[in-house]
Amino acid sequence: MRRLPFYIAVVVVALILIFLPHLLSEYRLNMVIRMLIYSLFAVSYNLLLGQGGLLSFGHAAYFGMGAYSNILMLKHWALPLPLSVFLGGVAGALLGLLFGIFVVRMRGVPFALLTLAFNQLIYAVAEKWRTVTGGEDGIAAMRAAVGLPGIGRLDLFPTSNWYLFVLLVVALSLLGCWYFTQTPFGKVNLYMRENEERTKFLGYNTYLSRLLVYCISTFFAGLAGALASGFEEYVGTTFINLDKSTEVLMMTFIGGTGSFFGPVLGASFLIYVNDLLSTLTERWSLIQGVIFIILVMYMPEGLSGIYLQLKRMVLHRAAKWRKTA
Amino acid sequence: MAQDGVILEAREIYKDFKRVEVLRGITLQVKRGERHAIIGPNGAGKTTLFNIFTGRYKPSKGKIFFMGKDITGMSPSRIGRLGMARSFQITNIFDGLSVFENVRAAVLSKHGIRFNFWRKVDAMKAISEEVERILADINLLHKRDVPAAELAYGEQRALEIGIVLAMDPVLMMLDEPTAGMSIEETKEMVSLIERVTKGKTLIIIEHDMEVVATLAHTVTVIHYGEVIACGSYDEIQRNELVREAYLGGEG
Repeated sequence: MRRLPFYIAVVVVALILIFLPHLLSEYRLNMVIRMLIYSLFAVSYNLLLGQGGLLSFGHAAYFGMGAYSNILMLKHWALPLPLSVFLGGVAGALLGLLFGIFVVRMRGVPFALLTLAFNQLIYAVAEKWRTVTGGEDGIAAMRAAVGLPGIGRLDLFPTSNWYLFVLLVVALSLLGCWYFTQTPFGKVNLYMRENEERTKFLGYNTYLSRLLVYCISTFFAGLAGALASGFEEYVGTTFINLDKSTEVLMMTFIGGTGSFFGPVLGASFLIYVNDLLSTLTERWSLIQGVIFIILVMYMPEGLSGIYLQLKRMVLHRAAKWRKTA
Repeated sequence: MAQDGVILEAREIYKDFKRVEVLRGITLQVKRGERHAIIGPNGAGKTTLFNIFTGRYKPSKGKIFFMGKDITGMSPSRIGRLGMARSFQITNIFDGLSVFENVRAAVLSKHGIRFNFWRKVDAMKAISEEVERILADINLLHKRDVPAAELAYGEQRALEIGIVLAMDPVLMMLDEPTAGMSIEETKEMVSLIERVTKGKTLIIIEHDMEVVATLAHTVTVIHYGEVIACGSYDEIQRNELVREAYLGGEG
């Protein structure tokens, strides 16, 4: 049972987000779009890392799969963008199923190494299969307007319209991911993280369970990738390389793996600081590295850990105060 | 199901690890409603036998039947779904999750809710009530939101019994539930087990002879991977072979 202030906060945030195109410059709005897309990517990643206790070095495979399929479907089949974005997610999940059959047999270091190897494999395909993927050059496709019978046309080309579309897709997806964590199967993900053997002896098929978790996670990664390529109206090997995999790992870790919205915070933070610093210095990635090292060493709960710690402190104080009063 | 009420039957179980024979032809029957203790000196192969019954190991030779069904070589999760639930010698619970969540994991599985991702788990009132009934049974209701890792040792052992109980299994398997406990804690554990396993079929590995005397109807004695005696506690106590092998020092 949530209280009223919570609902008021949700409505206020939603209103601000919806009216953001009127409040921000186009440049800033583009940044927010990136934040939204990468928030979804990082949340999908955290279904594995934070919730499932699985460290993947290859999540860009599915992000890239979604990105490539979106652009290819736009270009060759001229599919309406909302459909091709959704199918991008499906493509991510299918690749997740294919690779997952092998990688989810493992946990820990073997899992991490296998995800890395599969990411390299799909990267090599993207790079070498030039006739389809355009190789190093990549491929471009426009965000064309979508005809809606009886309603009119949905033009996703203008940044403000595209922003609202991305906002809708990401908001629904995050809601879906959050809801997932509240279901019995979402709990099974935690059971396997905490004690896989106990989970098995309770009658759960942990292999199938982990495979399904993997497919759900890679679906949303593919969706994020499709949105990203729709945003750039382009896809290239940078969407699917290991840099992209480490990027999402950093975002998730910096935001904090222990809370659902930590990755959202991490993705937004990194994109904002990236933007801020890259105008000042070309050595941005050096600073990013230093931030990451400091966080790993001194704040393993990430940025959301600061919030959780403050909350604990306040609650503790309040409880103490109530006792003495 | 076997007609004569035999729930678990082991036929000529052999197990060797790297050519060291740990079990050498164990044959054993457990009847419905029976509380069966397996005793024997350290290294006799009791836990190995448990691991074979519950699917953790495959036997080198021999067959296991559970409710008339051949379960030899099945995975732990399938055997679990058939209705065999176990505890471990070294406490095996979900450390980072709350006491409530630990038991809920078992209750959900018992009801076959293992892949549901469309309903909110907290909205399943019947499940939550069942979890709380179990927690009340094992006297942990007041700790329901405490992470399992923060419980006292005895409470963790009780929680694991609760997890096994929550599976509502056909056969409960407890591997040294009183291991590492003080005399006081052992007493509490024994009365807990006695209370919650009324009418259930139970196999228990135990070192403490007092616990065996209180809990078990039938006792099987294993020595160097072989059954050397099987019968009631009194029969076992009078058995010459057992006295030599096991109670020798005391009797």
